[in-house]
Amino acid sequence: MRQLTEEETRTLFSKLAHYTGRSLNNLIAPPTEEGPTGEQHVFRLQGSRVFYMPLKLANLSVSIPRENLLSMGTMIGKFTKTGKFRLALTCLDVISPHARYKVWIKSNGVMPYLYGGNVLKAHVHRWSEDLPEHAGVLVFDDSDNCLGFGVTARSSAEAKKLDPTGIVVFRQADVGEYLREEDSLFTT
Amino acid sequence: MAPISKPAHKGAASGGAKGSKPTLGSASRVSKKNAPKRPPPQEMKSKPRTMQENLKKKKKRVYTEKELDLPELNAITPVGVVKPKGKKKGKTFVDDQEGMMTILAMVNAEKEGQIESKMMKARQLEEIREAKKKETEARIAEKKNKLENVKDSIRNKKKGKNADKAESTSVSKSAKGKKKSVAFA
Repeated sequence: MRQLTEEETRTLFSKLAHYTGRSLNNLIAPPTEEGPTGEQHVFRLQGSRVFYMPLKLANLSVSIPRENLLSMGTMIGKFTKTGKFRLALTCLDVISPHARYKVWIKSNGVMPYLYGGNVLKAHVHRWSEDLPEHAGVLVFDDSDNCLGFGVTARSSAEAKKLDPTGIVVFRQADVGEYLREEDSLFTT
Repeated sequence: MAPISKPAHKGAASGGAKGSKPTLGSASRVSKKNAPKRPPPQEMKSKPRTMQENLKKKKKRVYTEKELDLPELNAITPVGVVKPKGKKKGKTFVDDQEGMMTILAMVNAEKEGQIESKMMKARQLEEIREAKKKETEARIAEKKNKLENVKDSIRNKKKGKNADKAESTSVSKSAKGKKKSVAFA
């Protein structure tokens, strides 16, 4: 388990910034209002996977041999062999409080989404204003539970003209994966 | 190395020749006019010396292969293979909070710029689309109006003819009716 290099940090942050706004700073430096509980969190690389954890835990992880260490803290995603970064579903809890754009879906659209479908216009309850095309967006249900994330297919202005069966958000990850991909979610 | 040294020789030789020409000419003139005062062989001796000196100076300038910094093989070297000189080996980690914050700030600024430009583009496109839509609507309305006008004009024409006909027919009908009534009565 090692720290990230400059290049890796840049790719990771640019990916995270795709979904989150300015408040992403809080991930690295927690606000001082929290007091002693707001301890510093760090990113660590194990194999090709990036984990997010408190600094205390990262220091403890040194005592475990690299080949024996499977997971530590929250997995954010993994680096591909070409050097790109893929966000994993497990990062949802980390990015959902800092979301830049949000889409809320109706109760009749929750199940199709959790089974791996894209979000249709008919299923959208409401969305953030001024959504651009191909922007990262977090998907919530009616009661503000985060269900996953994706990429907008149309800008909000264009989506208004779309027919009800048209796709509005392309799914990238949903919490249904915890069941569907149970076997392969944490395999290296 | 050979191609570099050769031109140096040539240059030196040509330089020497150029330098010698006017003096030779002057010497010949001098020899013709004042032969006993200035002996020409002395001047001739001085020229080759200068040439040799020149040659020695040029030889000092010859570069070694390393100094030229040419690639060893005349082939394209991939970007990752040649490492910059004087740089430390290995990865540079970013673990201090400030370094991470600066990277994050840069990334954030870049991202926001991208989003802003995207939104601007989308708005402009939307405006263009709206303008086009209005134009087409106006054109369709104009066409409809024209068609209606033509239709009205045709109707009016027909009505005008019909009215004339109707008058004539009514006259005839009334005449006929009278006749009939007369016949029945």
